Amino acid sequence: MNQPKPPEKGYQARVRTNTIQLAQWSGAWVASCALMAFGPKFLWNKALAFTLLAIGSNVAAGVGVILANKNYLAELDELQRKVQLNAMAVTLGVGLIASVPLSVMNSYHLIPFKVDISHLVMLMSLTFVVSVVYGSRRYR
Amino acid sequence: MKNRLKVLRAERNWTQAQLAEALDVSRQTINAIETGKFDPSLPLAFRAARLFGLHIEELFHDEDRSNLETEIKKDTYV
Repeated sequence: MNQPKPPEKGYQARVRTNTIQLAQWSGAWVASCALMAFGPKFLWNKALAFTLLAIGSNVAAGVGVILANKNYLAELDELQRKVQLNAMAVTLGVGLIASVPLSVMNSYHLIPFKVDISHLVMLMSLTFVVSVVYGSRRYR
Repeated sequence: MKNRLKVLRAERNWTQAQLAEALDVSRQTINAIETGKFDPSLPLAFRAARLFGLHIEELFHDEDRSNLETEIKKDTYV
């Protein structure tokens, strides 16, 4: 059987490498978020220098996540990139549209709990996951 | 846009995974192109044509244009 010749490093291998890097940076960012949130109270008794260091590490990890995500997107093929970009567009829209009414409802105590930025992050994360799953199934 | 990707792949006994590897895309993308759910970009279409040793228009053709040509032929014969 005449087999087609694959490129040097295959698509799957490159995507796997970039996915692992993205997961590692995301993990580091989540860990730095936890350190920034709980460290001042439980680890270093609100010492300013350590708090600033934790904030700095969180920002650095955040930049790492952005660059890793950019690399991840750049290496995806055109269909996978389309799915991801569609999901990002929906997520951005939902985040923007949901944030204003949530803020107003929170101001007038129309929601039984206090709305926090973390709720918006959770909503956007959920929207992104649902959008990616929907997009992937659409082209299956 | 219609294409002959599935037929040409079958003629060579290649799997979708093998074709995907050769074109440096995912297997899902090959499947989406074969089933007409996704139209490839021009660079990918050229890569596919080069792989099969064909001109791009032998691999992909415009569905609307085909329908138009069929209608013109019908009108000519009437």
